[in-house]
Amino acid sequence: MSKSLSRTLGLASAAAAVLAAASAGAAEPIKVGISIAQSPPGSVVQGTQVRDGLEIMKDILNKQGGVLGRPIALVYEDDQGIPEKGRAAVEKLISRDKVVAITGGHQSSVCLAAMEVAKRSDIPYINTNCWSDDIRKKGYAQVFNPSNYNSRVAFAMAETLAGLGAKRVVAYCENTDYGIGQAKAVAEALKKRAPNVEYRYETLDRAGKDFTPAVLPLRANPPDAVLTMMLPPAAYILMNQLYEQGVAPSAKTWLYDGAGIGDYPDFWQNVKEAGKDMIEFGLYHPEMGVPKLGREVGTTYQQKTKNEPNRLIFQAADSLLLIAEAIKQAKSTDGKAMIKAMESMTFSGVRGSFRFSAEPGITHHQWADIPYVTYQFTEVGQPVSKTHLVQGPNLPLSVSKLEKPAR
Amino acid sequence: MLNVDLLVNGLIVGVLYALMAVGLSLIFGILKVVNFAHGELYMLGSYAYTLAAAALGISPWLAVPVALAVGALVGWAAERLLMRPLYAGYSSWGLMRDEYAVVVTFALSILLVNLVDKVVGPYPRRGPALLDLPRMPLGPVMLSGQKLVATAVGLVVIAALTLSMRYTLWGKQIQAVAQNRLGASLAGIDTARASSAVFSAAGALAALAGALLAPIINASPDVGAFPAVKSYVIVVLGGMGSMPGSIVASLALGVLESFGAVYVSYDYRDTFGLLILVLVLLVRPQGLFGERGRVV
Repeated sequence: MSKSLSRTLGLASAAAAVLAAASAGAAEPIKVGISIAQSPPGSVVQGTQVRDGLEIMKDILNKQGGVLGRPIALVYEDDQGIPEKGRAAVEKLISRDKVVAITGGHQSSVCLAAMEVAKRSDIPYINTNCWSDDIRKKGYAQVFNPSNYNSRVAFAMAETLAGLGAKRVVAYCENTDYGIGQAKAVAEALKKRAPNVEYRYETLDRAGKDFTPAVLPLRANPPDAVLTMMLPPAAYILMNQLYEQGVAPSAKTWLYDGAGIGDYPDFWQNVKEAGKDMIEFGLYHPEMGVPKLGREVGTTYQQKTKNEPNRLIFQAADSLLLIAEAIKQAKSTDGKAMIKAMESMTFSGVRGSFRFSAEPGITHHQWADIPYVTYQFTEVGQPVSKTHLVQGPNLPLSVSKLEKPAR
Repeated sequence: MLNVDLLVNGLIVGVLYALMAVGLSLIFGILKVVNFAHGELYMLGSYAYTLAAAALGISPWLAVPVALAVGALVGWAAERLLMRPLYAGYSSWGLMRDEYAVVVTFALSILLVNLVDKVVGPYPRRGPALLDLPRMPLGPVMLSGQKLVATAVGLVVIAALTLSMRYTLWGKQIQAVAQNRLGASLAGIDTARASSAVFSAAGALAALAGALLAPIINASPDVGAFPAVKSYVIVVLGGMGSMPGSIVASLALGVLESFGAVYVSYDYRDTFGLLILVLVLLVRPQGLFGERGRVV
């Protein structure tokens, strides 16, 4: 190929890219509705990470020329983590902003309320991070779950507890659909996996600040493991009080978190010594490996925030990518067509490829075998990438790798 | 052994409740209004302490007075800018003073929560401990060094405040304004200045509670809601405007919640105070230490 011809071709492709981007920019944007907690009492920590992941994916998609030649625009509503506000937020996004789909939900009680509106309007509702099994059990055609679910965590925790030979286990769960749902799911999983384990759970107020009276009775008779199923900031306060009272983690008692809070950017600043030796259920670990697009999302997040990427970033990115893929496959922004596309597609996201299960029950429209990891923090301030991985997608559970605290 | 643990924990919590509640009680005593932004002064103290120690790199012991100053300043500004219309002129407002106070303090509360959320960020922050001993056996009881320091400081401050209210000119002036604003004014007391001083002191006390508890209850934009709700219960229980009543009610509530959480159910912990409140109000509507209203 002559030099002048290659230069001409280069110029032509550059011009085509500019024109494509310009036409995507000029076309009417495809609006996607985002309902997240942007102010208290909701988990603004989660909401912020979900927003970060969505924004990264939106930029990636728009740089590629958008979807069907139209740019993606995100329309945010603050649900404050309150179910009624979540319902009103989705109502507004659908009726006022004319969004083509809803996503971002990260607190189960809010998702359960908000998805009713999406169902009524026949608009796809992509659940970013609501774990309650009840969301799946409703069997709504409009709701898709590329996120984790409580029974999956329960299965993982029961397996680990059985491996550890735990005889008596106490769980502290927050008084929400997520918390109580997970505590009950663990009870069910233990019945099947380790029926001899004596298990009970205590419900704590997610807005509570002093959990010492709930912890004190364990001092005299510590269990083999304490499970926590709470979100920050309550989770951090509980961990500190468990540590202060010498209950867990201790030489007698494991501390095992089922909420996946260990990869939050503010985790170590808030728990310090109380987080050392904690066993963590996680949905992302750098050793899991992610596709090229996932690495791009992770790197962008790290460059922007100086924090290691975590599951919420990837889940949020996947939620938006899924909507974009559904529009592409349906060649339309019509809700029904998008739902049909999602039901049949094999989705290649930032965390891997999967199809949504069509089974009714807890795996309805769910990434049923969503990969997870179990790891342990062995040092104060340890980033997730340096933790002790004891179980992963390609790594069978090995409880012998867990280190029991000396004190 | 568990009972000793519960008693000590209840008393500690009670002392910290009292730090919050006496400020609210003082404000009610002098202005006869409830400050719904009181919890946010706690939150500001919590952040001021944490950020001063972390961002400025100063000793946590020096960060405590910084938090106190922030609380006093915001309390003073709230009184000057928002509460002054309640008694300085605006006589026609008298008819709606309660509504005005509720709306304006609620608005201030929402403003402060959202302002901190946007400016500082949503992530909770744990303050550095004044005494870095996360676990400390004290006889049969296990405490953190911070809890011990917070309780000791709280006790000293409450005692100093009680004595100064009783024996200093400043305290007597405030009592006079609380009893009869017009009468105090006729006796030559600057009532506006007394109101300003009370708001500043209440702000400083709430902020001090926030600073002392920041290493235990991490600072977050909504952290003030919990102590504020407890304070409202305590102030009514102890008798509106009664400082000794607030102190006794704080300790009683702390102990009651501690034992109730274990022997009844943790789920109902927050309802014990409300239940006792209803019972006390039925038998003694003015609260434990309050006086029945008199119209002269």
